[in-house]
Amino acid sequence: MLDVGRHPNIELMAYSEVDKVEGEAGAFKVTVRRKARYVDEDRCTGCGACAEKCPTVVSDAFNEGLGQRRAVYSWFAQGIPSTHTIDADHCRQLNGKKCGICKKVCQADAIDFEQQDRFIDIDAGAIIVASGYDVFDASRIPEYQYRQIPNVITAIEFERLLSASGPTSGHLHRPSDLAVEEEIKGLEKKAAKALKMLGKFEKKYEKGSEEFYLEYRDGKYEGDEDRRKWAEKYEAYLAVSGPLEEMKKEAEAFDVAKRLAFVQCVGSRDFRFYPFCSGYCCMHSIKEAIIANEHEPETTSVIFGMDIRAVGKGFEEYKIRGGNQSGISYIRGRVAEIVEGPGHNPVVVYEDTRERKVMEQAFDMVILATACAPSRDVEGLAEILGIEINRFGFFQTGTSQPLDTTRPGIFTCGCAHGPMDIPESVAQASGAAARAAQILTDSRMRKAS
Amino acid sequence: MNRDIVVIGGGIAGIQSSLDLAEMGFKVYLVEKLPSIGGKMAQLDKTFPTNDCAI
Amino acid sequence: MRIGVFICDCGSNIAGHLDCAAVTEYGSNLPGVVYAKENLYTCSEAGIVEIQKGIKDHNLNRVVVASCSPRTHQPLFQSSCAAAGLNPYLFEMVNIRDQCSWVHMQERDRATEKAKDLVRMGVSKAAFLEPQDDIEASLIPRVLVIGAGVAGLSAAETMADMGLEVVLVEKEAEPGGLLNDLYRLSPYGENSSERIGEIIKAVSSKPNVTLYTGSRVEDIGGYIWDVDITVRQGGGETVKEKVGCVVVATGAVPLTPEGLYGYNGRDVITQMELEERLLKGEVEAKGIVMIQCAGARSPEREYCSRICCQTAVKNARLLREQSPETRVHILYRDMQMYGTENEQMLWDARGEGVRFDVFLPDRPPEVGEGKVRFYQPLTGERVEIPCELTVLSTPLVPREDSASLSQLLRVPVDQNGFFLEAHAKLRPLDFATDGIFVCGSARYPANVEEARSQGLGVSSRIATILFKEKLVTSAIVAEIDPATCVGCMGCMEMCPYGAIDYLPEEGVCRVNRILCKGCGCCASTCPSQSAMLKGFKPNQLLAQIRAV
Repeated sequence: MLDVGRHPNIELMAYSEVDKVEGEAGAFKVTVRRKARYVDEDRCTGCGACAEKCPTVVSDAFNEGLGQRRAVYSWFAQGIPSTHTIDADHCRQLNGKKCGICKKVCQADAIDFEQQDRFIDIDAGAIIVASGYDVFDASRIPEYQYRQIPNVITAIEFERLLSASGPTSGHLHRPSDLAVEEEIKGLEKKAAKALKMLGKFEKKYEKGSEEFYLEYRDGKYEGDEDRRKWAEKYEAYLAVSGPLEEMKKEAEAFDVAKRLAFVQCVGSRDFRFYPFCSGYCCMHSIKEAIIANEHEPETTSVIFGMDIRAVGKGFEEYKIRGGNQSGISYIRGRVAEIVEGPGHNPVVVYEDTRERKVMEQAFDMVILATACAPSRDVEGLAEILGIEINRFGFFQTGTSQPLDTTRPGIFTCGCAHGPMDIPESVAQASGAAARAAQILTDSRMRKAS
Repeated sequence: MNRDIVVIGGGIAGIQSSLDLAEMGFKVYLVEKLPSIGGKMAQLDKTFPTNDCAI
Repeated sequence: MRIGVFICDCGSNIAGHLDCAAVTEYGSNLPGVVYAKENLYTCSEAGIVEIQKGIKDHNLNRVVVASCSPRTHQPLFQSSCAAAGLNPYLFEMVNIRDQCSWVHMQERDRATEKAKDLVRMGVSKAAFLEPQDDIEASLIPRVLVIGAGVAGLSAAETMADMGLEVVLVEKEAEPGGLLNDLYRLSPYGENSSERIGEIIKAVSSKPNVTLYTGSRVEDIGGYIWDVDITVRQGGGETVKEKVGCVVVATGAVPLTPEGLYGYNGRDVITQMELEERLLKGEVEAKGIVMIQCAGARSPEREYCSRICCQTAVKNARLLREQSPETRVHILYRDMQMYGTENEQMLWDARGEGVRFDVFLPDRPPEVGEGKVRFYQPLTGERVEIPCELTVLSTPLVPREDSASLSQLLRVPVDQNGFFLEAHAKLRPLDFATDGIFVCGSARYPANVEEARSQGLGVSSRIATILFKEKLVTSAIVAEIDPATCVGCMGCMEMCPYGAIDYLPEEGVCRVNRILCKGCGCCASTCPSQSAMLKGFKPNQLLAQIRAV
């Protein structure tokens, strides 16, 4: 990523989209919409002072909504460019409210609320479309109850939980536990506020609130407006402190998730959604199970899949190593259903094809290996580029030139071309680069420029 | 004939294409819709089978 | 000595957690320092101007920047120094952010003291820095491709169009590799020989491709970017060629499963043999059982060969297409039909009536006279399938001569004997050694589309080097003093890049500075301190350490 940022031959246009393509191979005219960041890319140093002071808290999409960011943000800490961006949907200033704090704290004077989308025309000889894929929305599968059962999460969400730079600093806290802890924090704030208020009354009347309240209940202070308020505040405090204590007791028993289930083919190899195999998910699950076991050696994982497709260099060996050393067992079959058991434990219902029995097993957390879906804007992009998509929703390519799209001069690679793992993406990316160079190199001249 | 190249998408594939072409001496415009490049791979903790850092 | 020290606030990233003004003041009083300046952002345009102005106004001959990580910013600062007329190797960087302010956020005073220590260390080392010149090497725009299968041919075709000269060496009498012996290709059922014929035709028409068939690469000498190769041709005569880069595209061969499942080449055959019979129209059997993972995913050969499942399904469908009454039964462990078209082919085969059954590796099928028996876990019963032909899907295995080729090229193979790339994820087509690349089944089993994409990919990797006028690399490389080297060759074993040679006549080791990446492994190994890494010599490092 860094190399891209500082390569003199690469002009990086982040936060931008292709708007229009005209012309033909060797002479395309590409119009790029540079979306308004409301931050001057040339001035912003990425120091983050603005995000530190921004009062608006927003769910963090990079962390799959498991964490929070501010309305002015960097996509992720090591992002290239490190330029911050103002989220126009949430920024107070851009929504007509008084704020502008980021502008005040920015020492580089980079905040620009007046910035507009800009359109830039580029003359290009070739185009490579490497627009990737989208993660399948697992909530479309009713029987897995994703978003209904808190401890059923997706593989990419699990990735963020495992990450040392993620929302839990790499500890496998269960989403249900995180929610309770979040609630405890909220209630503690409320309780502290209430106690402060009670303290004022206690000081004024030189009496503990509990003692006062018993007397009040006996009707001792009838008609005393100020004391009635005190009693009200005390009641409000009790309404908070009771549940708070209970929750705290509950939270004491919280532990990191140690019994994991991975469910394969979530949205893949499924005629209701995508008939194809997403290719990388089996290995992704195995990797996540191995890393989880590295974090916490007591962790055991069960991977449920129709086939375990370890079809890459070193993959089968890695799968076996996972089974031998990382507490992974593999069960053949498609999971029928996930239900919620006691203690927010998801229960996986499946048929054990080897034992020929319908089984139920409870886990601390279930991870759904979601399909590699064609990106949501693939049709729009195909239309802009004037290229075709195949029956699976990825860019159509030829057989004799596997990286050529249906329009000469436009090439594709990676998961925009079809589901594939990283080394295949990288190899194809170099291949697409070669095709572009091939058509743009005058064969009589060796040098490209 | 114009020799510049537009690469759409700043994930691992787009990055690799851009770097290769830039090293060959072509001018590359890398267009990414999100605020930073890196794509899905930037969201990964580690990668198999070597378990080293993602990107 | 005229050292300039630039302390960066990094906004509040550094200045928020330690006293940058105090560190600057401290730096200005260190020995040799004639100028010290604090900047809000040293990497901003204003910060860079400060450095360049400092070099000119104060006649600085060393620059130390104390800021963030050299990984991200050293190239910028170095080139800025060079633009102001200071040799870029007289620049030293100190990391007071990642290694100081960020790790000691709650301890302002102690963080400030640590930053002073770090700056003192950097300044001490800077005094010993020496000017260096980048290393330049000329490049030969000519490439050796070993193997004229689909991967090698695709690489040759693309590179030829890119204006590079290609020397393509094929040991068989005809180019084409395995595709010459295949019938039709998955998933679309194209004719294999027609497909490869097109590619061969395209390559043959390129004036800048020299094809040697029936030939082998016998010797490789010189060093990378300037390789002397000797090709021995079928007739015995040898040809010498000079190339800049090398591509390994030697492919792989299907395993002959001697002793497995009663293999006999008659009614128990391999998929490859089935392809040959299909090609000749010689398949008459009406009951056929295919057994997957024959000789693969076993203790002696752990890996999955990736493409055998798609081959089996493709052939099963072709058999039924040719004669619809043929019964084909595929016994498998996991159907490895990754991706869109492969999985679709599996759905289609099922719909068309090809039978699929799982077998357990601990209870493999038994091939008998006119039948195959297997344990069906789904029913818990032993099932017998009558058949006239049993087809074993055997894995692709490395070619016998890949070990000797790996020695000739000094590139590694993995535990299975396939060529080992530089990085399994991020550099699948490169070797760790510069200038040598790999594609197709020599790396790991690949189907036609994959092998072709990889062949194209390799062309790109090579063009990134050979499109340049000359090669310019960092001067931070190792050198071995021949006066003190005892020729123990300890450094050679440590070098991950094969950059060290032993010169038997002189009895010493020598670093090829073009190949050297400056990792320092040799310097840390050398028992006589003959191997030293420029920019990290003992006097420079000791000055830094003693300043702690």
